[in-house]
Amino acid sequence: MFTYVLKRLLTLVPVFLAVSFVIFMILHLIPGNPVDNLLRVGSSPDMRAEIEAKYGLDRPLLVQYVIWLFHVLQGDLGTAIVARRPVATIIGGALPYSLQLGGAALLFSSTLGILLGIVAAWFRDRWPDQAIMGGVLLGSTLPSFWMGLLFILFFAVWLGWFPVSGVRGWQSLVLPVLTIGFGGTALVTRVTRVAMVDAGGRDFVLLLHAKGLSPLRIALGHVLRVALLPVVTILSLRIGWILGGAVTVEVVFARPGLGTTLIKALSQHDYPVVQACLLMLSVAVMLGTLIGDVLQALLDPRMRHGHR
Amino acid sequence: MFKGCKSALMASAIGVSFLMTLPSAMAKEAIFALPAPEVGVPAYNPITGVNTNSANGLIYDKLIERAVDQTYHGHLAESWEEAPDGMSWTFHLRKGVKFHNGDAFNAQTIKDWIPLYKGTESEYMVASIASVEVVDDYTVKFVMKTPDPNLLYNFSSSFLSVVDPKVFKELGADYGVTEAVGTGPYKLESFTVGQETVLTRNDDYTWGTDLSANRGPAKIDKLTFREIPEDSTAFLELKTGGVDMLLSVSTDYLPEIKAQADLGLISRPGTDLSYFVMNVTKEPFTDIRVREAAAKAINQAEILSSIYGGVGSTADTFLISSLPESKVKPEYKIAYDPEKAGKLLDEAGWVKGADGIRVKDGKPLAIALWTQSDSAFRRLTEVVQAELKAVGFDATITTFDSSMIRDEYKKDVHQAAVRSYEWDNADIIDWFFGGDRLGYPNISMFNDPKAEALRAKAMTGSKNSEERTANFLAYHEYVLSQFPFSPIYQPLDLSAYNKTKLVLPDEKAVPYFSSLILDLDTKE
Repeated sequence: MFTYVLKRLLTLVPVFLAVSFVIFMILHLIPGNPVDNLLRVGSSPDMRAEIEAKYGLDRPLLVQYVIWLFHVLQGDLGTAIVARRPVATIIGGALPYSLQLGGAALLFSSTLGILLGIVAAWFRDRWPDQAIMGGVLLGSTLPSFWMGLLFILFFAVWLGWFPVSGVRGWQSLVLPVLTIGFGGTALVTRVTRVAMVDAGGRDFVLLLHAKGLSPLRIALGHVLRVALLPVVTILSLRIGWILGGAVTVEVVFARPGLGTTLIKALSQHDYPVVQACLLMLSVAVMLGTLIGDVLQALLDPRMRHGHR
Repeated sequence: MFKGCKSALMASAIGVSFLMTLPSAMAKEAIFALPAPEVGVPAYNPITGVNTNSANGLIYDKLIERAVDQTYHGHLAESWEEAPDGMSWTFHLRKGVKFHNGDAFNAQTIKDWIPLYKGTESEYMVASIASVEVVDDYTVKFVMKTPDPNLLYNFSSSFLSVVDPKVFKELGADYGVTEAVGTGPYKLESFTVGQETVLTRNDDYTWGTDLSANRGPAKIDKLTFREIPEDSTAFLELKTGGVDMLLSVSTDYLPEIKAQADLGLISRPGTDLSYFVMNVTKEPFTDIRVREAAAKAINQAEILSSIYGGVGSTADTFLISSLPESKVKPEYKIAYDPEKAGKLLDEAGWVKGADGIRVKDGKPLAIALWTQSDSAFRRLTEVVQAELKAVGFDATITTFDSSMIRDEYKKDVHQAAVRSYEWDNADIIDWFFGGDRLGYPNISMFNDPKAEALRAKAMTGSKNSEERTANFLAYHEYVLSQFPFSPIYQPLDLSAYNKTKLVLPDEKAVPYFSSLILDLDTKE
């Protein structure tokens, strides 16, 4: 198992280098410049060149990339050009909020999604299945921005149960988690249901029935274990998404986080912040995939053997 | 006996605990939502910072404050004199002023503070000062490299808020994040970037300006500034009592605010101006008659009533109307005149076709009209498009993301655009029409030798503010006469507040935010 994890980790090194190169180049090649956000009315036209020289933006792009990568590999993410603070401090301030929201949303959507998926598969093609799948369709199609405002209006303005926005106490986490979790639950429910139905039709299930095991025990004790494999893959791929994918929800609920930090920095072309955020999200996706693979290997011994 | 003793002890304990909790129970608090553009300011650091927010003006004072009518009022400087040749300024400082940490504010403070701007993006604001001389403890003299009639304006800028130079040097990069020391009516208690700022009252404060009835200390003990980027969320927070005042509110919410008895509205003249700009180097706008026609096709009054519900005012020059440099001669003002527009296009050879679009040499009068993707810009641009069509232009709207549009302008392929700016000084004409800033910010690509001569005179050739105003008037009038743009609209600066929570001073004048705060109170 250790060799398997080590091999998978080593394959991530070239992926990391390629991703860092693409992030850096795309960001510097798209229109826009941080210097435009630093110049003010009344400043002299020569100031642009001075600022570009100050932040090394006048050097060839490849040189800028090598310098940046050299520092990143040493753990130095640099200083924000517009925000004027160490990038690590900016990200460090936003990350706990993203982890809190993303973690809670992932827990909520996976628990509820798996549960609903099992129920839908159990009652396949009957009304509980149809009702759940109807809800799933709704959850996967409604935009989170609109859902968030709807939740605020209903639960915060009309019922007054939760605060409208902010990060004060656990109450302020409920509506954002519901908003993100609604879409996530839909995905997990759908995957769980399909996987349960698929696994339920395999030969080993017939054998278990022949052995006289109860249908409930077969479903929860055996079919679910097999059906969880694709669910684990989906959930592990969402680790990267939960960190940076909650931008609209963060904006609607006035929550700080990586998503809003990234958007703000993008709008100001604050290169060091955007680069660091994107790199972090990429690493999160890579690690998520790795975790997914490891979990699959744990759940399915055939995968481990295949790699020996 | 013992029982009586126990009762007395209990009573006194309750009494003591009541007295101990009394001050906090009576503490007055108010919560504000910062305007969306002020969200995410990374530090309360006016020296090296790129942005400041409304709370900055409560932590720090400035030497001079500028009211919304553009008049200057002494603050940390009680009075000032300018040498007739403009080569020196003498400022008389207010006595008895202390920084939040107890450090004294005096002439030495100013001498130590000015050099802190060296190498920052704000250095240009003090670049004309050659040296700072301490005349006595409360008199300071600025010896100038060149006359700078804009010095008073610069000293009233939030970027020239007076910080404690000693603390600034000690804290380095952490200044404004962990600690911010000014002389303002509130002290920084806590600051979480992108989330909230908590300020507590400076009880020693007695040096407010004549812009507020109360010179200090402020009436409210604790202020919280929340950062809510989404307008609709901020408005719902106001409705539910999550915040007591929105420092900026869109005109979209006006009907709802007016309909709700517990909500009030404060309106002050804004510093924004929206306009339609033409690239004078691109056909058909190389012909001044076509530019004038397009400029006079814009129906400012119609836009004001149809898009903005009559809130704000129409614009007829490039400057906000409170600036003296906006008072150009009537013949230079740009106003809606479709008949004149039609006549000018006829003269220029553009003949109206059957579909209403004008044609010349077989080519239709078609233009690409650029705008930003924000919904407010789109709405305004669509109306401008319709108004241009009414006189025979076939304008096609092209939308760009706000962060990318500047680079697109630099490529010089644009023909016309709908834009807006926020600024309260005449040097905005230099910024947007200066011949050495072509592409961006000079989107019009206007580069006229006469304009350049007038610009140089206005920017650097004035000895005092009267001369500067006259020179800028001449420059402004010339730019207006060349029709590189058409002014459209000046919005009001609107704030909404909860009437059941806050008590506002009488509206004897329209104060700016940090003066309003001194008079603001909460209901008991």
